[in-house]
Amino acid sequence: MNSEKLDQLYTYVQERCLWQFGSRTWDRQESIDGVLGTASDLLTGKPPALETPQQKLFYADAKALVADFKAHFPWIADAGPAQIRELIDGLKAKLVDITITNSRNGELNHSLY
Amino acid sequence: MPMVLLECDKDIPERERHIYLKVDGEDTRDFLPISNAPTIPGTLSERGCSFCGAKLVIGGVLKDTIQMIHGPIGCAYDTWHTKRYPTDNGHFNLKYVWSTDMKESHIVFGGEKRLEKSMHEAFDEMPDIKRMIVYTTCPTALIGDDIRAVAKRVMGDRPDVDIFTCECPGFAGVSQSKGHHVLNIGWVNEKVGTVEPEITSKYTINFIGDYNIGGDTQLLQKYWDKLGIQVIAHFTGNANYDDLRGMHRAQLNVVNCARSAGYIANELKKRYGIPRLDIDSWGFNYMAEGIRKVCTFFGIEEKGEALIAEEYAKWKPQLDWYKERLKGTKMAIWTGGPRLWHWTKSVEDDLGVQVVAMSSKFGHQEDFEKVIARGQSGTYYIDDGNELEFFEIIGLVKPDVIFTGPRVGELVKKLHIPYINGHAYHNGPYMGFEGFVNLARDMYNAVHNPLLTLAATDIRGTTAATSLEAAE
Amino acid sequence: MGCEITTKERAGVINPMYDCQPAGAQFAGIGIKDSIPLVHGGQGCCMFVRLLFAQHFKENFDIASTSLHEDSAVFGGHKRIQDGVMVLAQRYPDLRVIPLITTCSTEVIGDDIEGNIAQCNAALKEAFPGRKIHIVPVHTPSFKGSQVGGYSECLLSVIKTIATHKGAPNGKLNLFPGWVNPGDVMLLKRYMREMDVDATVFMDTEDFDSPMMPDKSIHTHGRTTVEDIAGAANAIGSLALARYEGGTSAQYLQTEFEVPNTQLNSPYGIANTDAMLQAVSRITGKPIPESLVRERGIAIDALQDLAHMFFAGKRVALFGHPDLVIGLAQFCLEVELKPVLLLLGDDNSKYKKDPRILDLKAKADWDMEVVCNADLWELEKRVKNPDYQIDLILGHSKGRYVAIEHNIPMVRVGFPTFDRAGLYRKPTMGYQGAMDLGESIANTLFAHMEFNKDREWLLNTW
Repeated sequence: MNSEKLDQLYTYVQERCLWQFGSRTWDRQESIDGVLGTASDLLTGKPPALETPQQKLFYADAKALVADFKAHFPWIADAGPAQIRELIDGLKAKLVDITITNSRNGELNHSLY
Repeated sequence: MPMVLLECDKDIPERERHIYLKVDGEDTRDFLPISNAPTIPGTLSERGCSFCGAKLVIGGVLKDTIQMIHGPIGCAYDTWHTKRYPTDNGHFNLKYVWSTDMKESHIVFGGEKRLEKSMHEAFDEMPDIKRMIVYTTCPTALIGDDIRAVAKRVMGDRPDVDIFTCECPGFAGVSQSKGHHVLNIGWVNEKVGTVEPEITSKYTINFIGDYNIGGDTQLLQKYWDKLGIQVIAHFTGNANYDDLRGMHRAQLNVVNCARSAGYIANELKKRYGIPRLDIDSWGFNYMAEGIRKVCTFFGIEEKGEALIAEEYAKWKPQLDWYKERLKGTKMAIWTGGPRLWHWTKSVEDDLGVQVVAMSSKFGHQEDFEKVIARGQSGTYYIDDGNELEFFEIIGLVKPDVIFTGPRVGELVKKLHIPYINGHAYHNGPYMGFEGFVNLARDMYNAVHNPLLTLAATDIRGTTAATSLEAAE
Repeated sequence: MGCEITTKERAGVINPMYDCQPAGAQFAGIGIKDSIPLVHGGQGCCMFVRLLFAQHFKENFDIASTSLHEDSAVFGGHKRIQDGVMVLAQRYPDLRVIPLITTCSTEVIGDDIEGNIAQCNAALKEAFPGRKIHIVPVHTPSFKGSQVGGYSECLLSVIKTIATHKGAPNGKLNLFPGWVNPGDVMLLKRYMREMDVDATVFMDTEDFDSPMMPDKSIHTHGRTTVEDIAGAANAIGSLALARYEGGTSAQYLQTEFEVPNTQLNSPYGIANTDAMLQAVSRITGKPIPESLVRERGIAIDALQDLAHMFFAGKRVALFGHPDLVIGLAQFCLEVELKPVLLLLGDDNSKYKKDPRILDLKAKADWDMEVVCNADLWELEKRVKNPDYQIDLILGHSKGRYVAIEHNIPMVRVGFPTFDRAGLYRKPTMGYQGAMDLGESIANTLFAHMEFNKDREWLLNTW
């Protein structure tokens, strides 16, 4: 995997996206999986799932993200599906690490909101 | 090293855990300020109390509701004429405040009868008003008055009224944040789902965490109207009490202030399956993105693009005029919490302004994760900053303008630094496209205030006054 | 015809006229030099009061909180008092006075203030040998009285704590003006200078109107020093200019240190100012100078142009601090305005027996009403009543919507006046204050005539 490209995407998401900062670990995990999963679909030409309201929201966030990725990182247009999936998986892992696994936010695991 | 112990804090070294200086290569895994933690007594903190978080910030915004404050007179007096949230019905919410004016005998014998009488009186005096929120305060919570039982009795006596109770004594929690939480959770537990809203559009949202400061809600409402989206409830800008009882019927919750109202959005998702979309409503780039996402959700992208194009055509040239002149301005943001992360990047991207220091009164660590991810290196991130720290930080980063409250604004004025009201705005609204031009205009007028140059002139000095030179 | 003295019948309050006791105590506490009040209670009790002062004065004032949180409500706030005192002492090396102001919560919890102060004093002595910080116990539960009594309570406690013994006579006169603006303090100090009288004003708030200086120094603080306060016991006399704000302090100095106290009508209007200057002259033996006779003449000359032409018969509603409202009602009579409604905003039972109110009652040959424990809803209800007819409102900014909604001219006076610029700088007391207020009233009425096209042509030739 090209770690420089991954870092570009990661830096962009960290700076830009509120969905990675949900109130609790499960919110964050759900958004990271949902939005980036949908983004991966969009970047690889797969039709995104749009059945539930939550899927529609993932799509809305992912669509904006993909448009930004394409605008900021022209190389992404040339990336093949395998590379995209690898990048997105890498991105998920990095986001999970910073926003969940190694987050210093002491409120992330409260059972109630 | 990046957690900072300021010189003024050498006797309270625990403050080091609240102040962060971002350095290249670091992120929030390495350092995250402690926040939403008890304040050190005597530090001249900027924080308010839980009661004000409930009443002043959220409940008191409602335009058709009596705000009955059960306690001594000060709690009512102090949360009246301290906010700028107008309404489209002549600002009923700004004109009145209600108190049970509790006295010593009620402390001794209980204040429930006093409360009940005051509630009836308030409805009698204002017969057109049928909704009420009752708040506890420190003393009524300490003596254990059962405000829920009283509210139930009054509703029994008056079938046409509805009353919500909010147990938010000032000492609860460590800041106003606790009051936000209590009101959010109480409302979703007791009031959401008790009114069926009239649905007038295929597309329905709740807009959560926007209090119509300076007219924000009313400005954004124009966008929703153009898009054909029905806002079932604004939580709580320019809102009616009953609007908020119908929040369960929206298809999407759009959240601006995640700190004061993220709780209700989370609960609405959990209980009613309504997805939560967080957006930034300040800034061109952000606002456009927010509109795009909402429109994508509903599959009305073209309408969204048309609106954005129209707004950009109208306002972007004005924004750019200011950007040209504000580029490189150093800004500090000392407000509640979320505006730190809402603003730091938007003023940078849209206006070329550099945010050099930020202090949050009541933000949680989630807010610091957001703002540190978005903010620059070399910038200070402060939790619960106090007066001496502000002086020291000003010396370190030398801001050209500070977005903060009016009292701190008066303080920094003496240091020849202009302030913009970061809570209530100078001349808002600041949300949306037009709003961000207002913000830019106010900032431009602040940093270009000629009085600042005059203030710095010592007339005993040797240089002749500039006006004299000009005359010669 | 005649005056009726009543009390609000409702239990609750709609739109209060005063803040609570701790707010008043904080106002007295910031009047002392090198003082930071420490409010023992929730953070809002201090944060909002600081905001209120900032709104009125357009200045920042330092006031600290013990930041009472939930654990203190259960276990008591002792540690937070002691931590708060120590943190203030450590971080503010010039600090000399800490008024420790209680609130409703800490009075209900029952924290032993005096015991905590004793412990703080011992800790301070150990940590800062050779430095004296006066910690003043101020008991101001919010469920008693109002900001009016809170101001008085803090002042009295400051005097009791710091003026502890009688020393050599200092030849000075103690002036207790009550809760007034810097403009009034400056006027009183000028009058004393012109009379060549060495006086101390409690509290000297002149610097509450402070400059932006080229060197960026900050001058916003009280001017009354620890020495001034200690010296109050050695004065030749005290003048209490406000019965409900500081009168008890002057009385205490008389009882404890035999400093003769003279309780005067608050010097609003010409005759009340005359009485004050004559009292000063009597106590000090100093004559009233020509300059003040002249200032008096200018004020009367100016008011003479207004009274029987524009003011006569105008029905005035007044609200605000009791000494101010009563004093301004007396002033109204001097300029032929008719004070028809006086609203006093707390449950102090002494108002009904106030000799000034009884005197107004005796004089009233018009309909007049004094409402005690009133709120601003009492004002609004009367303003709405077509039979009541109010031509002018005199009061502070919290009543602004009554005037705005009902199109009644209103002159801002008292505290707070955040919706008008610079009023804190202007005196209301004295001859100059009477003249300035009279002219403000006139100009407000004139603007009202113009915007309402109500005989505005009258002024074409004035």
